[in-house]
Amino acid sequence: MSELNYVGKSWRRKDGPAKVTGKAVYTQDVRLPNMLIGRILRSPHPHARIVRIDTSRAKALPGVKAVITVDDTKGIKHGFVETPRYPPDQEVLARGKVVHVGEEVAAVAAVDQVTAQRALELVDVEYEPLPAVFEPEEAMQPGAPEIHPSHPKFVGPYSNIGGNTDTAWGDVEKGFAESDYVREDRFECQLRTHGYLEPHATLAQWENDKLNVWTSSMGVFVKRAKLAKTLGLPYSSVRIHKTYVGGTFGGKIDLYSHEYCAARLSMITGRPVQIVASREEIFSAYRHAQPLILEIKTGVKKDGTLVAQRIRAINNAGAYRGSGVVVIFLAWGFTMIPYRIPNLKYEGLSVYTNHTVRAPQRGHGAPKVRFAIESQLDMIAEALGIDPITIRLRNARGSGERLPNGDNTHHCGLPDCIRLAAEKSDFLIKFGRDRKSPPEGTIRRGIGIGVSAYMGGTLIYPNGSGVIVKMNDDGSAVVLTGAIDIGQGSETVISQIVAEELAIGMDDIKIISADTDVTPQDIGAWISGMTYVTGNAARQAASNAREKLRQVAAEKMSVPAEHLLLKDKVVYDRVNPELRMTYREVIAHSIATRRGDTIIGEGYWRTMRDEPTHPSLATTKGRWTENYAFSTQVAEVEVDIETGEARLVKALTVHDCGFPINPALVKGQIDGQVSMALGHAFMEQVLTKGGYTLNPNWLDYQMPTIHNMAISEDVDVITEQYCVGQPYRTKEVGEGLISGILAAMGNAVYDATGVRLHSTPFTAEKILVGLKHLQYQAKTARSTQIKSVGA
Amino acid sequence: MDVTTGGIATRTRSTSRLISLCVNSEWHEIAVKPRSTLVEVIRETIGLTGTKASCESGICGACTVLLNGRPVLACITLAVECDGKQIRTVEGLADGEKLTAIQEAFLDQGAIQCGFCTPGMLMSATALLRDNPTPTREEINKALEGNLCRCTGYNSIVDAVLQASGQGVKPVMK
Amino acid sequence: MLCRWGPDARAFAGGTDLVPHMRAQLVKPGLLVSLGGIAPEPPRLLLNGSVRIDALSRLADLERSDLLRSKVPMLVEAAHVVGSNQIRQMGTLGGNLCQETRCLYLDQKHDYQFVAPCYKRGGACCYPFPRNGQDTCWSVYMSDVAPALIALQASIEIMRESGTRHIRAEELFTGNGLKPLSLGESELVGAVTIPSKGSGFGWDFHKSTVRGGLEFGMAVVAVALRLAKDARTCAESRIVIGAVREGPVRLASAESSLASGELDEQHLAQVAVAASKEVNPLAHHGFSRRYLMDNIRVYLRRTLGRAVERARQEC
Repeated sequence: MSELNYVGKSWRRKDGPAKVTGKAVYTQDVRLPNMLIGRILRSPHPHARIVRIDTSRAKALPGVKAVITVDDTKGIKHGFVETPRYPPDQEVLARGKVVHVGEEVAAVAAVDQVTAQRALELVDVEYEPLPAVFEPEEAMQPGAPEIHPSHPKFVGPYSNIGGNTDTAWGDVEKGFAESDYVREDRFECQLRTHGYLEPHATLAQWENDKLNVWTSSMGVFVKRAKLAKTLGLPYSSVRIHKTYVGGTFGGKIDLYSHEYCAARLSMITGRPVQIVASREEIFSAYRHAQPLILEIKTGVKKDGTLVAQRIRAINNAGAYRGSGVVVIFLAWGFTMIPYRIPNLKYEGLSVYTNHTVRAPQRGHGAPKVRFAIESQLDMIAEALGIDPITIRLRNARGSGERLPNGDNTHHCGLPDCIRLAAEKSDFLIKFGRDRKSPPEGTIRRGIGIGVSAYMGGTLIYPNGSGVIVKMNDDGSAVVLTGAIDIGQGSETVISQIVAEELAIGMDDIKIISADTDVTPQDIGAWISGMTYVTGNAARQAASNAREKLRQVAAEKMSVPAEHLLLKDKVVYDRVNPELRMTYREVIAHSIATRRGDTIIGEGYWRTMRDEPTHPSLATTKGRWTENYAFSTQVAEVEVDIETGEARLVKALTVHDCGFPINPALVKGQIDGQVSMALGHAFMEQVLTKGGYTLNPNWLDYQMPTIHNMAISEDVDVITEQYCVGQPYRTKEVGEGLISGILAAMGNAVYDATGVRLHSTPFTAEKILVGLKHLQYQAKTARSTQIKSVGA
Repeated sequence: MDVTTGGIATRTRSTSRLISLCVNSEWHEIAVKPRSTLVEVIRETIGLTGTKASCESGICGACTVLLNGRPVLACITLAVECDGKQIRTVEGLADGEKLTAIQEAFLDQGAIQCGFCTPGMLMSATALLRDNPTPTREEINKALEGNLCRCTGYNSIVDAVLQASGQGVKPVMK
Repeated sequence: MLCRWGPDARAFAGGTDLVPHMRAQLVKPGLLVSLGGIAPEPPRLLLNGSVRIDALSRLADLERSDLLRSKVPMLVEAAHVVGSNQIRQMGTLGGNLCQETRCLYLDQKHDYQFVAPCYKRGGACCYPFPRNGQDTCWSVYMSDVAPALIALQASIEIMRESGTRHIRAEELFTGNGLKPLSLGESELVGAVTIPSKGSGFGWDFHKSTVRGGLEFGMAVVAVALRLAKDARTCAESRIVIGAVREGPVRLASAESSLASGELDEQHLAQVAVAASKEVNPLAHHGFSRRYLMDNIRVYLRRTLGRAVERARQEC
């Protein structure tokens, strides 16, 4: 790589100073005069017909300014996906019946919290409870209570199927017949939740035919589109303003009822309305992550080469379609990217249950799928007498491989990742050590490995990002980008790219972001595409401005533009460096001689520039992305074999991230994902009973504290590079690094204890039960031995 | 309480109390309801929104402020209890433009991502370093166990406290 | 003032138990009486060697008291694991002892979940244990400090309008989830007194959690014992388990069993096995009875072992 000044260096966050001084404005910090407080009335039943709603007593309470039900809306539905096969299925408030505990039934706006609360208590709703169903395998059965009787039957006689994904290649049955070893396993992953620190919050102000909205989100353009649609407004009448966002992890993408209600209540009352969800509401009525059941049958040759795989994924989708139909599609993807599988059959089912709707959670199915596949692979390896490293290297994809969906792995560093991970962690020395010679005491250590892959920037509305770089006449720049910083550091990364392309300082750049009126459209902070897609758009915009500077300077200095270099806001002749102009001079000249051209650079980007649309969720046909990231992670765990208590001691992440634009930001992402993964592995579980959440608080929903963090090391495998003036490919680092480490922890627990768990979390109780079972088996085997010897 | 007379609410007698709070070295005389929490008063009446409300049950620590020097949870502290007391919030750490060592260290170590837990973390860390200028990792963990973070995984936060206390950790960001 | 208002008035100091319960509308006092303005006496050594601790002492201050660290380290260790640093800075010793019992179904808002009140909320059902009658509530008492005080043979000074009365620490608890404390209306815990220990005294304390901090325990084990002169058997002991029943549980059978044999590993293990059954833990907060018994069995064995070691050093 040629000498880079900004890209590749760990610059301090642009938003850092605001955040350490308490000046950063989040949605709840925005105050408008005359603001009303909104609250949502929620269903106390998992499934019930709404017989009647009477809002008159609530409306009559002094201090209450408006009360709405679904009859006060335009009846326009929305959904996480909106395709012909999966049309929008959810109204902003319940109509006719409620299908999960906490579903939104009415909303009130009042002068203060206390009045709003009292108003909720005065809304009279008569319900007729209906039979409810909570487990997907029960809900699928013909005859189960139908949650959406009007939805099509996607799969034969099965009930409550929100969507399905089916795909196959090769011939799996023939593959199994040809395999030397076949095994079939079932894995389950628990219900978890995102746990972002900032609660859902929305402030809406309808004024002069314009709706101004501040809301905690992952992408302002999706919010605008869905709000505008459900309110029946043109997009230009809805402005989503920029706010800082206090964490999202997938839980703040699609339209939330409270956002609509704040807007509608503001339109009715003519006053700003703020609605903030309480932590209990978030943990019991809002979106949770997607619990998956995975049934996997795999056949291999005796050297461990994969021959055939049949997978069935069942998602407990909750009561509306939500993102369930996406996770079953992605689950297929996460199966087939890292390893070559000649014959595959995949079936994914997203099943309605009377639970809260689901949302993607960081990794969007990858952690669960990789946990299942990597656990099974280790079991296969053990049966064949092969070590976990060899079997993975045997099957890992490399560079330039064509994936079954037509995508290409391009520069794939996976084999290097596996080798490096094994080497750096002394994997083969540590693997099996405590099982072979148990140490003194009750602590056993184990080591495990997990491989994963993730994609960046796939096509989902709004599909592409634009960026504008406006030069100021002193040579500094203002960058307009729709990108939203949810903590990942997008503002910093964009600044670095612009600084590099334009040869100006980090302090010369100010970012204006995430405002639907002012900034160009952006793909949003999910699908891990921001650094790649928005980053390339920013690069192009800066590059565009740079070329204009060069052209103008070339004219003025009478030298060919190719001779000109840019550095520190100066354009100079490479051959004769004395010949130079400052940016200030160049811009002045541009304005003077080019009819007032103030030099604005424009850029735009999307993944899959040659494909018109995203692949089919139902058939998987169609290309996905040109940007795949690969990783290998190693976990070292300790287990107390008397109590079953397990913890992550050390995590090693070796990842092909392309190249890091800001290494410290990448490290931050890795650490955060290790923490989230160990929560998934050992502690987190949303406990539900009859559709109710039992632990809607952070004491009883055990999200990791500072005590729980492990040593986290990482190594970048560089497979791409950054050249000024050219498109680059960085690979995602924000989502794909939970899966490998989660799988590694499962394998490490096995290595420490001999207990193979097929479900997460690996609670102390489950491990202890497993250990007792092993002891019992050992005892029975010994006594059988004794018996047979004695006989 | 409120009394309705022909549809118009009349307050017969206010239940508010007048209290004095010294927030970041400035005295404020304000009226608060007995049930108002300190976090509500700081954010809404005094207008300092750096202190965050997240769980409102005294668990996550996002609302941590210093009350007469002690790190407390403002969401479960009644404002009336704070009459006459000194409160320090995140806005009161820096001296004009000059950030404190712990604030600089957070920036140097990448200990901030979404930033929502940051004010509470900084207040807990400030109290820790004042009482224990060179804390061990265990002591840091114990002091910050009541501040939840979902973004950073905590390692960079611990490194920031170690850097701020001069214990050999170098900045990783510039 | 408390007397005048009766049960509609609630006293509080740190508010770390009361305020969250008010927010969840489990408690709706008409009047709050604040004790927070009263400066507590620092812990002091009495003439007879006991240590007296003002109930209004903040838990964080107990942690830092040199007197307590040297005289009653088990109490310091218990105070050290309560909640979070902020909770320890706000919460008082008395408040911690007087905390309400807990249950997943109880400790949340009831706007749309578990709306019909359970027995503890004055209603007509029990969600986790539907077969319980209305006199039985299996909400669990979670104080970390209480088992330590009972193990240390502490006495509690209770203040009331007419004067003070003293009870043994264990007498504060009724074992009834509906009314877990034996305090009368308008009574307050004023102070705790812990007698001095003799030679051959050993102790240990363990709180089991998932995350190692912030949480209430899944089980709390507090052991105090005194070796016999031969240092091979135990003359007397207190084995107290917290966070698994409606009040802390003192295991009398385990204590006599402990005294009945030589204090080798095998004996301690046997005592622990029997104790885990004697305590009869309630499944709570997502933990099964079976697992709690396993957890208690192992940690009790380990705490007994460390207590014996400490005692041997004191001989």
